[in-house]
Amino acid sequence: MFYKLIQTIDRFHPFPKAKAHCDIPCGIYDPITAQINALTVVRMMDLMAGLAEGDDKAVIDFHNSMSRYVAVKEDHAEKAKHEIRVIWGDFIKDTHVEKYPELPGLVHKIMQFGSKSRQTADRANGLALVDAINQFAEIFWAIKDIKIKKAKAPYAPGLELVYPDL
Amino acid sequence: MLNIIKVTGNSLSPFFLPGDYVLVRNYRPGYKNLRVGNFVVFQHSEFGRLIKQVHTIYPETKTLKVVGSHEKSISSHKLGLIPYSDLIGKVIFHIKQSNTSKRRSLLK
Repeated sequence: MFYKLIQTIDRFHPFPKAKAHCDIPCGIYDPITAQINALTVVRMMDLMAGLAEGDDKAVIDFHNSMSRYVAVKEDHAEKAKHEIRVIWGDFIKDTHVEKYPELPGLVHKIMQFGSKSRQTADRANGLALVDAINQFAEIFWAIKDIKIKKAKAPYAPGLELVYPDL
Repeated sequence: MLNIIKVTGNSLSPFFLPGDYVLVRNYRPGYKNLRVGNFVVFQHSEFGRLIKQVHTIYPETKTLKVVGSHEKSISSHKLGLIPYSDLIGKVIFHIKQSNTSKRRSLLK
């Protein structure tokens, strides 16, 4: 009876819908996406600093470029956080946390450095984000029993990243 | 504040079937009355508005792990942890379809 009433109202004034869709685990996880997002954050900070040193601040192009750098920094900091949350939520299990008890604190640090990288243009925050995500990558590959290597990324800002040594 | 939301999809069967309605109490920051096992509605950046069951609460990162209950809903495919800020609300009442034969056919 009550259902019928709600259903009738729904016909004339549709209620919002929420999907309870079936999930299919793809099993494809890799912290490299988060690492590249974090590198992009530092790159944008560098471009912003370079632009601020110029003399053409009154030119509209300055504002256009600065706005674009800020928007990309915002976006990639948030994407880095999202990628880590996906691995943390879907891949990491209780047994992994038992073996690497520093993981919850590390994930929390990544969330904080990601937010600070959005809030400020301080390169130190971007570097801290890259560093924390590298630490996360080291643990991730250790869980998968895959050796790692450290190498400088072959593009600006050329920071050292943790890669699987395949 | 309360909202009525219609359920689509099978992930939460047999608890919720497509076509059921839920009464949702809106989430407010600082809202502490959330427990493992509760059903929540949240906005996901990739998949839109979803309804799932709370599996784990991580107070220190202010996030939730959510799951479906259907046998095919083994893992949260790329859902990741849900930040509290993405929560729309908690399900406080379930309005089931009254036609039991229809419920049975949907459960098959």
